[in-house]
Amino acid sequence: MPVAALEKDVAEILIDEATLQAKVAELGAAISADYVDRQVTLVSVLKGALPFMADLMRSITLPLRIDLMEVSSYGGATETSGQVRILKDLSSSIEGKHVLIVEDIIDTGLTLNYLSEYLRGKDPASLRICALLDKPARRLVEIDIAYRGFLIPDRFVIGYGLDYDEIYRNLPYIGVLRPEVYGGE
Amino acid sequence: MTTSPRFAHASEAELARILDYYKVAWQYEPHVFPIRWNPDGVVVESFAPDFYLPELEMYVELTTLKQSLVRKKNRKLRHLRELYPMLRIKLFYARDFRALLLKYGRLDAAASLIGIDGQPPPRRSGLEEGGPGAAKPDLSPGVVAPAID
Repeated sequence: MPVAALEKDVAEILIDEATLQAKVAELGAAISADYVDRQVTLVSVLKGALPFMADLMRSITLPLRIDLMEVSSYGGATETSGQVRILKDLSSSIEGKHVLIVEDIIDTGLTLNYLSEYLRGKDPASLRICALLDKPARRLVEIDIAYRGFLIPDRFVIGYGLDYDEIYRNLPYIGVLRPEVYGGE
Repeated sequence: MTTSPRFAHASEAELARILDYYKVAWQYEPHVFPIRWNPDGVVVESFAPDFYLPELEMYVELTTLKQSLVRKKNRKLRHLRELYPMLRIKLFYARDFRALLLKYGRLDAAASLIGIDGQPPPRRSGLEEGGPGAAKPDLSPGVVAPAID
């Protein structure tokens, strides 16, 4: 399906491509300044953060390492006994390393809270969070975000890695999905 | 996994499962806060938030009724916040919970959990232990009241 065919499902472009790229460059510059005397390891969470990670790492002007993780989501859990599972763990040790988690979006904070605790258990020298989008309206767990891209309203967003039913990740902007697509009001 | 309490509403059980999944400790209705007294000082109205998350020191109240039906709960919550300003309490409306289920691809569950009245509340004395870190209801002296929401 061509990307143009996806666009009919977009009710509104919330953050256009140019604005996104400018913000990513700004975040990259801030991270470069803060870690100038330390080597940072960027840890990204599949799959949604992939485009952000790819752009952010290229905007950081320091030597860096990257690693990728994937964790199961509640939606795939079986009835009552499910707990988060690490679907893909880190490839290298982060003990004594300066770790920056790169996330696409934070809303409830549940996944990131779990992930932060998991990574802290691996004894990094430091652990901070960079999130492109922060949707605080439904926050359950307070998250200390060191680098924040955009505060966004409580709407269902897609694009730039964010999906609905695994589609729309390749849109180059952040859009709002038409409610009728997911049977909303 | 510990035994779940008897929840008043299926949506509460679903939220408990989500919290369990992400290893967030919770207690179900562990505290009852009086919010109105008669002239003799007898408590005539109380509020028991649905969940307490001890590690986060936060209460969560889940109301999956239609928006038009939540005015009474909003009033009670406002009163609670006035009387107990130190409490951190997060109110989840039907639209919030629906969005949460949508995020997890659980629209089927949303359809059956939202916009309906809950089952009759269980007897408070019948509560059992909740999820990780759950404790028996901590009803401090003088805070138990007859009208529990």
